[in-house]
Amino acid sequence: MKKFKAIVNVGLKPTIKDIKSATLKDAVSHLLDIENFRCKVGSRYILEFEAKNKIDAENKVKIIADEILANSVIEEYEILWEDLDEQS
Amino acid sequence: MSKVKAGIITFLGTNCEQDTMRACELFGWDTEFIWQNDIIKKTYDIIFLPGGFSYGDHISSGRIAKLSPAVKSLPIGKSLIVGICNGFQILCEAKMLSGALTCNENLKFISKVVPLEFLGEIIHIPIAHHQGNYTYSEGRLGENEEVILRYTENINGSDDYIAGIYNRKTKIIGIMPHPERAVFEELGLTDGRKIFEFIENEI
Repeated sequence: MKKFKAIVNVGLKPTIKDIKSATLKDAVSHLLDIENFRCKVGSRYILEFEAKNKIDAENKVKIIADEILANSVIEEYEILWEDLDEQS
Repeated sequence: MSKVKAGIITFLGTNCEQDTMRACELFGWDTEFIWQNDIIKKTYDIIFLPGGFSYGDHISSGRIAKLSPAVKSLPIGKSLIVGICNGFQILCEAKMLSGALTCNENLKFISKVVPLEFLGEIIHIPIAHHQGNYTYSEGRLGENEEVILRYTENINGSDDYIAGIYNRKTKIIGIMPHPERAVFEELGLTDGRKIFEFIENEI
């Protein structure tokens, strides 16, 4: 078994009204003078586990992301792998 | 006629199970709790997923509860399944009902009595939620689903003011308002009885 570390970033789909990001933008405008400020609020999950190989690891993270970390109706996610060169 | 048999699933963080049981008992239903980790083997006419904060609403409301043995063993198409507030969120997260419930448009927890359109009349029932903003899957309801409860004004940003939906084929109801909090006269509201009467007729 090999060790893997995945970082899953979850955020609302562009088609869904992103109220938290709008709130952050509003707050920043009260904090300082800043031009063309854009932001996207989301959640970050760091997963460490063991798997047979990279394909097995990717399959496992996809299941976790699809079933627990994100709701495909309103959210999308990206998976980043850390130190993958050393692991594979 | 034999007594209606109702089950109420309780999760870690559920807080409306007692109110729901009292409302069921008002209607003379034989009611018992079902623990989240138990597989449902008994036969119930109605199974409630009550309001509250299952698993502390962690990750997202209803996200974790959908994986519990009780929810996974729900007798779809047999018992009438009714999700109230957090129960509605769980049913959507489990894809047993279409759509998703996301943060209220004003990002506030809203707790108040609201007017609702139900079966052609206006009724008044409390709501108490932070994630009650109903959002369609692919811009519409799912197959065999219909709106049974609608806000009369934009309360939380829900698509088409949707407050509750019903899939008659799978016998699954999901509503955000709390009818169990509006059945006893001493609490000032009794319109919730109309929802329970509807539920009883749909068994």
